[in-house]
Amino acid sequence: MSTEQSKPGFVTIERASYRYEATGPAVVDAIDWTIPRGEVHCLLGRSGCGKTTLLKLAAGLLMPTAGMIRIGGEALAGPSPRAGFVFQAPTLLDWLSALDNVLLPISLKRRPTIADKDAALDLLERVGLADFVMRRPAELSGGQQSRVAVARALVGNPDLLLLDEPFAALDALTRKELQDDLLRLCALNGTTALFVTHDIGEAVYLADTVAMMAAGRVTQVRRIELTRPRHRDMRYAPSFITACRALRDAMDGAATASRRPAA
Amino acid sequence: MIARLPSLLLLVALLVGWEAWCRLGGLSALILPAPTSVLGTLWSEIATGRLWPHLAMTATEMLLGLGIGAVVGLGVGVLLAEFPALSRLLRPYVLASQLVPKLALGPLFIIWFGFGMTPTVVITALICFFPLMENTLTGIGEVDPSRRELFRMLGAGRLQTLLRLKLPAALPVIMAGLRVAVVLALVGAVVGEFIGGRIGLGASIIAAQSVMDSSLIFALFIVITALGMLLYEAVRLLERRVLHRFSKG
Repeated sequence: MSTEQSKPGFVTIERASYRYEATGPAVVDAIDWTIPRGEVHCLLGRSGCGKTTLLKLAAGLLMPTAGMIRIGGEALAGPSPRAGFVFQAPTLLDWLSALDNVLLPISLKRRPTIADKDAALDLLERVGLADFVMRRPAELSGGQQSRVAVARALVGNPDLLLLDEPFAALDALTRKELQDDLLRLCALNGTTALFVTHDIGEAVYLADTVAMMAAGRVTQVRRIELTRPRHRDMRYAPSFITACRALRDAMDGAATASRRPAA
Repeated sequence: MIARLPSLLLLVALLVGWEAWCRLGGLSALILPAPTSVLGTLWSEIATGRLWPHLAMTATEMLLGLGIGAVVGLGVGVLLAEFPALSRLLRPYVLASQLVPKLALGPLFIIWFGFGMTPTVVITALICFFPLMENTLTGIGEVDPSRRELFRMLGAGRLQTLLRLKLPAALPVIMAGLRVAVVLALVGAVVGEFIGGRIGLGASIIAAQSVMDSSLIFALFIVITALGMLLYEAVRLLERRVLHRFSKG
């Protein structure tokens, strides 16, 4: 459980806490966490356990009320330009084509060049949308919209990708396809990723390390010993099922609050 | 065309009924002129060219009032949406200014601005201001919070967020406000002329009333309605153009 300590952290969260009100309860309660460069970590937990808040802290969308977050050694003081964020809903702009949506992070900073356009087209092709680049979001399915959102988060080659249950609203088959797409894209540039989910199978399939959260704390950390690249057959491997089982037990244990925090 | 046929037939039936009632019912032409007499008057107004200066005046007042009211309403709506403190400070006054019956301000405006176009344009602008301001404020307020968060994450500035996210997202609501404003602009222009105009369709109605020419009054109704429908359709066209560019699908 301490394997991640042996590598230098790319994202380091140091005793970060967050409260919405000064005297209110801590939504995120003194969490220490380290993500080495190039790894995929999943935050797993029930609704309301603070995982989305922790993700927003890592993004710089919220500032911790105590503690600190560093990305690549730099303390975070606001929304990080090195991070791409994928929201629960695709949050595409309805009046832009898929291509212009992917180019949005660039076009907000400068006029996109031919090279930017090629990069965006390349990303759209990699998520299987080569034939849909001029379509508007209303003309795309939910899965296709999520793919555009992932491509948009990756267009500036961010070092860090933060994802907040991005596939939760999709059907099981589409979700699994998108998980494969995501892993391929992350592996391509060695992107570090923090992925929030409440789906145990999703967490085990995607992650190098899964952190279980309950009541604002990390209650359990599990290293996933599956080889990369991941393949859909692995979902039926005994080690996969064992990992899911262990996390499930931990989740139930955390719900009854009968376990001491193991992190 | 086929879809419009029933409503056209209804119009014809109503006109025929109206004509028959006037001819057979022995109703005084002073009370209700027959459609043929109204159309005759309308035609002579057009043919002699008497109508055009009045039409031009009312159309100009309407367009100026609508333009000024819409631009100011949009601007104030954006300001109040962007600066909640300003909104808290000014909202009661803006509301109060709208609850004053603006037509009642007509006599005062004549003292301030004299007879002629200006008081009517000011009244029209005041009337058109409110739907634009209210709808801009509502439209911008309803922009999805997660999209705002996206723009924050992407490091967009305040002006960028306004121009690239909030205004395009609010556009359908803003355009609906503009459509309401067009209808109100016509009321503002015509009734404004009742109070202080010498030229214009509203002023012509008062002139026709003074000589008891109800046929001319009806003819002017037709012109006013046509003007209103023309401008409304023009705004619809603009809306479709704009929304096609800035909306779903």
